[in-house]
Amino acid sequence: MFFHIVLERNMQLHPRYFGRNLRDNLVSKLMKDVEGTCSGRHGFVVAVTGIENIGKGLIRDGTGFVTFPVKYQCVVFRPFKGEILEAVVTMVNKMGFFAEAGPVQIFVSNHLIPDDMEFQSGDMPNYTTSDGSVKIQKDSEVRLKIIGTRVDATEIFCIGTIKDDFLGVINDPATV
Amino acid sequence: MKQMSVVADSPVHSSSSDDFVAFLDNELGASSPDSSPDKEAESQDELESVRIKRRKIESIDETEGSTSEGIIKQNLEASVEVDVCTHPGSFGSMCIRCGQKLDGESGVTFGYIHKGLRLHEEEISRLRNTDMKSLLGHKKLYFVLDLDHTLLNSTLLAHLSSEESYLLNQTDSLADVSKGSLFKLEHMHMMTKLRPFVRSFLKEASKMFEMYIYTMGDRPYALEMAKLLDPQGEYFNAKVISRDDGTQKHQKGLDVVLGQESAVLILDDTEHAWMKHKDNLILMERYHFFASSCRQFGFNCKSLAELRNDEDETDGALAKILRVLKQVHCTFFNKHQDDLVDRDVRQVLSSVRSKVLGGCVIIFSRIFHGALPSLRKMAEQLGATCLTEVDPSVTHVVATDAGTEKSWWAVKENKFLVHPRWIEAANYFWEKQPEENFIIKKKQ
Repeated sequence: MFFHIVLERNMQLHPRYFGRNLRDNLVSKLMKDVEGTCSGRHGFVVAVTGIENIGKGLIRDGTGFVTFPVKYQCVVFRPFKGEILEAVVTMVNKMGFFAEAGPVQIFVSNHLIPDDMEFQSGDMPNYTTSDGSVKIQKDSEVRLKIIGTRVDATEIFCIGTIKDDFLGVINDPATV
Repeated sequence: MKQMSVVADSPVHSSSSDDFVAFLDNELGASSPDSSPDKEAESQDELESVRIKRRKIESIDETEGSTSEGIIKQNLEASVEVDVCTHPGSFGSMCIRCGQKLDGESGVTFGYIHKGLRLHEEEISRLRNTDMKSLLGHKKLYFVLDLDHTLLNSTLLAHLSSEESYLLNQTDSLADVSKGSLFKLEHMHMMTKLRPFVRSFLKEASKMFEMYIYTMGDRPYALEMAKLLDPQGEYFNAKVISRDDGTQKHQKGLDVVLGQESAVLILDDTEHAWMKHKDNLILMERYHFFASSCRQFGFNCKSLAELRNDEDETDGALAKILRVLKQVHCTFFNKHQDDLVDRDVRQVLSSVRSKVLGGCVIIFSRIFHGALPSLRKMAEQLGATCLTEVDPSVTHVVATDAGTEKSWWAVKENKFLVHPRWIEAANYFWEKQPEENFIIKKKQ
């Protein structure tokens, strides 16, 4: 799920950036620092959308670095248990398949793939129903349900399932 | 809340079905108090109106009943799942089946398939069993390949000898690696030469095997080499195992390979890396293209590159091994009618091996003591009979010196007098070698 929230961060800035462009420098450093990172609480920071407020800088003794408390708006993405996500399959093997939804890595084990889908090996490994009508392979788009999440510093891992109504392939690259 | 507590209690009871029925009755009764039996006792006169009313109530009851039932079912399922889930493996420290967070790291890591993936023994053997059936259905076996000195030879650019520097101008383009065989990998400061015939070898082998790469190199190197050998990713997709993925230091093991040991063949130039799986191993003659590689193994001869030479494309080591693979594969699948699953490729391999020197009766003469046991074992595995005393049945005398008593005897009796390398060559090429190439020269 996406959220638009306000976060706060203390930014350390080197003295060489002081001057007319201080604010711009601060903002670009902020974007570089936080976009693409994860926190367990908020999830993956997709983009900084605006600056709410920059507090008074505090000069550090000895180094000359200045710490600014910055409040910023950003879009974050965090998967929840029970959430339905659409994801792109990145790898299929006998254990199940891996899929990606943006920064989120999702694993759907073969325990959580409907029993009528069977693994087919070969140079394009896939899971196929016995009548061949549904096929999951690399680059397929699937709709899945999250049953477990874990957020690391840089990555989000999820366990997904497609063993439920209305889950499974939504767009098969082979038939397009 | 009530349901929750019941569910939480349920694991305590050994047989939960009776409890569940009682619980279900209780819940259903509680949720539909209006449909009490006294309604049945309504007088006939009011029947018409009541019937309509009843129908309404019933329909409400039904929906109520089914929803509460649904909730119970769900809760029950959840509780059963929690009870039953054996946590067959984990991905990012979560169970791959129930999504529950697991603490403590257990099971075997499968980092080469995906970061953060771990599987437990039972799950691995379950996967192996199911995979085995489909694989045998496709008439395929597993094949684990080593990289260095088996399929290719690499050297650091800094280690190129002066006589090899001409190679720098002959490297093939990295834009289309499928055509070339000599590559300079600038970012890794390396030069790599693929063994002649390797592309046809992989293509042919992929029809008979599901192939893995298993190297003692590190992961980035292994992936880079896999890209050179298999630019389309059709052979080794997510099946590249490096030393970072093994479970034991300085050892290679089949525990990280998702294939049953009885169906795995290994091709490697280093026997002691596979201590536990020697029976699966096809030993490969080392490929030394670069001088640094020769030096590493203590050879003082000129490298193939220095001699501006290379292995033969159509009759080199890989081509010879491919013939052996075809033979083993053919024997495995054509064997009499016993069940495919019960067959063991290790037995097939040793029976093919034991025909190489079949009929040869060998006697050793003055072989260095340290080398004798391994040489004798090798000869016996190849099907030769080894004697200790001279006998008329002897066909070959193996010696390093033509001046020994047994050597004289061999010459006199018109037996073959060959160098121990004759046995080693037969072991590498799975073929009896012409004896005249291994004649011992008289010492002056």
